[in-house]
Amino acid sequence: MILSKADIATRQAFSERMLEYGAINKDFVVFEADIGYSTYSYLFGEAYPKRYFNMGIAESNTMAAAAGMAADGRTVIACSYGVFITMRAIEAIRTFVCYPNLNVKFLSSHGGVTPAIDGVTHQATEDIGIMTTLPNMKVLAPADTESAKKIFDVAIKTPGPVFVRLMRDPFFDIYSKKDTFKLEGSKTIRKGKDITVVTYGDTIFQALEAADELEKENISSEIIDMYSIKPFDKRNLLNSISKTEALLVVEDHQKRNGLGYELSNFCLKNKPVIFDNLGLNDTFAESGNYYKIIDKYGISKKHILNKAKELISKKRK
Amino acid sequence: MDKKSQNFEERVQYLKEKAKEVRVNIIDMIFTAQSGHPGGALSAADIMTALYFDILKIDPKNPRWPDRDRFILSKGHACPVWYSCLAMRGYFPIKELKTLRKFESILQGHPDMLKTPGVDITTGSLGQGLSLGVGMALEGKLVKKNYHIYVIIGDGEINEGQIWEAAASASKYKLDNLTAIVDKNNLQMDGFTEKVMPMDPIDKKFKAFNWYAMTINGHNMKEILTTLEEVKKIKSKPVCIIANTVKGKGVSFMENIRKWHGKAPNQREYKIAIKEIQGDDDDIK
Repeated sequence: MILSKADIATRQAFSERMLEYGAINKDFVVFEADIGYSTYSYLFGEAYPKRYFNMGIAESNTMAAAAGMAADGRTVIACSYGVFITMRAIEAIRTFVCYPNLNVKFLSSHGGVTPAIDGVTHQATEDIGIMTTLPNMKVLAPADTESAKKIFDVAIKTPGPVFVRLMRDPFFDIYSKKDTFKLEGSKTIRKGKDITVVTYGDTIFQALEAADELEKENISSEIIDMYSIKPFDKRNLLNSISKTEALLVVEDHQKRNGLGYELSNFCLKNKPVIFDNLGLNDTFAESGNYYKIIDKYGISKKHILNKAKELISKKRK
Repeated sequence: MDKKSQNFEERVQYLKEKAKEVRVNIIDMIFTAQSGHPGGALSAADIMTALYFDILKIDPKNPRWPDRDRFILSKGHACPVWYSCLAMRGYFPIKELKTLRKFESILQGHPDMLKTPGVDITTGSLGQGLSLGVGMALEGKLVKKNYHIYVIIGDGEINEGQIWEAAASASKYKLDNLTAIVDKNNLQMDGFTEKVMPMDPIDKKFKAFNWYAMTINGHNMKEILTTLEEVKKIKSKPVCIIANTVKGKGVSFMENIRKWHGKAPNQREYKIAIKEIQGDDDDIK
């Protein structure tokens, strides 16, 4: 599969759609915590200054004030990096957004190790685990420009809190204008019969490359973009693993408490199949080139390839 | 009550009587639950009474009336005082007060906006209420309504850095529709505030954040009423009222005693407490 290089990162695509949507819908407001030029929320801020609140480098106050503004039904989009949203401001989000189930949507940039050169302080590799644990919270993670824009619409139309994991850098574009996205949806981006690879965000591209290699060895892999992480698309997963009888979950996240743990739990209860998951193995990453990091920490094409073959050989025993 | 038909003295007298009832309810509900925080509820009782029985523009029959004034109890553990005011104003029947902290009660251990009519926003985790107030005040400005947001903050919870993040953002946006009232009872859970974490001078700290700040006696009903009316006139700055109070005010054996932060009275203590409150005519001793 030949992938076309994306011009912009998902953080930018999401914010560009937010700007467009601002003209259609005058009812939502945006909170920023002084990284507007990085989350691209400044685009909205410049167009709609009265609906844009930059609360400075103060994420806890930003998220709690967003809750205050949402208390009587207002929809608020609160922007920051994944590490700060999910850790610095976690209690404000848990107690004042999730508990009263308010309409705050989180634009969470710099997901996974995509801020590779920035190092561990800025790499959100626990965000999915933290956010999926919160009652009422929904979690989405678009992989390319088209899905980021459409997932903005999904997020804003979904009642209650929604966390959207975005990436620092552009990768590839895989979706077209015809593609649609929904809460609890997923996309089978490659059909196959020997193994199901479930992934989201940047690791999708590693999985696609691995699938090309596997094909050369006559192994056919099915790849699912599980962009709706909570709730996830049980039906598509079940259909796929009923066919392949093997599941590999790959994510740019800690192995622990990510989508891999969620799906292993699901399979154990509903459809036990040969299973493994790839992610950061109870470790922090480091600064450096993104591709070198994903290779060293076990989520690159090479690791997917090897793990897929290992699972398939287990299946055949 | 119809405020216009009464002169200032009558309003003050009325509020003093109501404050006694509020205090009786606080003791009664904490005694019934055998759990709760009497000290900080009693210290805030006079201010809360003035708000709920005079100052606030509210409609108990329509708790989510869009034009209402908003109230936030940032020191959420003091909620028996809030529940007491809400029940007495008719948001829910007085008998509900007996269900405080009980399984499936509308009166949770800390305020829950989805369960309790009249609770504008959930609170209970300290240091967050002022941020919530900032958000509500921004909403008020956005929709160009002239409702006012009142936040009662404990003098212990101002240890939290987030209070000062909120203070900065409130002055940035010139939130003159926001009034913070610090219930300065000088005690926090582990002891006197000056010993646990000294924060004085609080008024100067808020002034440094470009707030309008003033200090009052938080048990003098005349002063409370006058101040709450005056601060509404202040434009382009948020207001902080430092209310000097006594933790456990109204029950002699609870006053200024650390252990009454979060302890229920026994039968004997309960009887003495109720008697003292009902017999106490002066707002200041």
